[in-house]
Amino acid sequence: MKHLWARAILGALLCAGNLGAQVIDSAPTRPAVVRTIALDARLALDEGLKLGDTVRISALPNDALAERVVVSALLSRRADPSEIARQEYRARVHLDQLQRLISYGDRVDRFAVRSSGDSARASLLAVINNAAFGFRAWPSADIAVRTSRTFQVVRRFNRAIGVITIVASAAFLLCILLLKIDERRRDVAALRMMGISASTIVRSVVLEAGIIALLGSIAGVVFGVIVARLVNWYFQGVHRTTLAFTLVTPETVVFACLLSVLLGIVAGWFAARRLVRVPALTLLGR
Amino acid sequence: MTAIVQVRDLARDYSMGSGAVHALRGVSFDVNQGEWVAIVGPSGCGKSTLLNLIGAVDTPDSGALTIASQRIDRMSDGDATAFRLRQIGFVFQRFYLMPALSAAENVELPMAEARLPREERRARVRELLGYVGLAERAHHRPSQLSGGEQQRVAIARALANRPALLLADEPTGELDAATGLEMIELFRRLNRDGTTIVVVTHDAQMADAAGRRIQMRDGAIISGGLA
Repeated sequence: MKHLWARAILGALLCAGNLGAQVIDSAPTRPAVVRTIALDARLALDEGLKLGDTVRISALPNDALAERVVVSALLSRRADPSEIARQEYRARVHLDQLQRLISYGDRVDRFAVRSSGDSARASLLAVINNAAFGFRAWPSADIAVRTSRTFQVVRRFNRAIGVITIVASAAFLLCILLLKIDERRRDVAALRMMGISASTIVRSVVLEAGIIALLGSIAGVVFGVIVARLVNWYFQGVHRTTLAFTLVTPETVVFACLLSVLLGIVAGWFAARRLVRVPALTLLGR
Repeated sequence: MTAIVQVRDLARDYSMGSGAVHALRGVSFDVNQGEWVAIVGPSGCGKSTLLNLIGAVDTPDSGALTIASQRIDRMSDGDATAFRLRQIGFVFQRFYLMPALSAAENVELPMAEARLPREERRARVRELLGYVGLAERAHHRPSQLSGGEQQRVAIARALANRPALLLADEPTGELDAATGLEMIELFRRLNRDGTTIVVVTHDAQMADAAGRRIQMRDGAIISGGLA
């Protein structure tokens, strides 16, 4: 275990302040025996650290016995919704250093083991679970499922909002089309008087409504993509992550366009049928 | 002379609340081929009702109505629509051009509905717009045309399928005096070239220009009809 990189997950594990991390030498020269540390890239950015810098780590500020280590890696935080809001910095140190730092002795709460395949993982889980009473080993996929349950709820909530929005938009579209077509009742009356058949009028209204709905959905998709990029740009900056906060997927685009065109056609058909059933002279107000 | 329009004892009532309004009371007259007839009279005398019946957009309560040898007083809505498309040209007071279509497309519309071949439609559009003096304005939309120009387009549209009869309801009603005179001149030229026209008008000059005047009052013809 001593040769493993221990992942320092102190909950609020290793705060730079608590560690007393301090730059004492930014020259890239190394002493003969030097220990290394991997720092949170955000910490490095905030404190102006770079690879090769030497820092002192200690559980107490201004500790004369603080150990000097060289920054050998910068850790970028994963684009994980469960992690982006965490404000604390993270660091990875060698296990013995970690034990000294936190005076925790030869104990760990959690550790991660990388396996080389499915069979190795299964046997490893069995070995750990049998060997260490009180420990429970989980495949990382199971842990991901457990930790993402909150996001599943959020996702369902977002989907419900989306469905409500679409239903409300459909009702709105229908009302608008009814009003717009009703505004053209005199034109429709004139067309009927000229001998244009009801089916031709319905077809042309449906075609027009379908085209308007398609153009509207395309405009909506373009607007959505722009807004999504703005939202991502803003929150990625705030949280210093590459996590995509909003997504406009091809499936979303296809679904939106198809649904919009379908609603447009149905609304157009309904409105046009309603109008052509009224006698032309009534439409003209006579 | 061949009678294009034969109207016999035509009556049309409208229910108004508990009573009925007798819009037409036994009207009879003929319109011969190539004739230009103006129907005149005070508002509410039944002029427009009569025009709507002749145009097969309304059905009489009694009487007989024959246009171009076809009885239209008992036609179904579908048959009446098809009849109007090929036999009747309508000119409205307010033009009713389709605002999204150009002048040429507006004229082409009835021909497209009649399923004329595209080349024939285009040739006919050029011919008609040239006839009404708007060859240069073919690709303008109605909003880009003056009132007189819009009415010319409407007349070209009404003539698109070579109808047996041109019906016009107050065609100068929305036009200024000078443009109205131009319209009267266009109607005169149309009639001279063989178009049978029935026009409902309050415009004395339009009525004077017509070959015959049918005077109506209270739903009946008081002069110009059958004896």
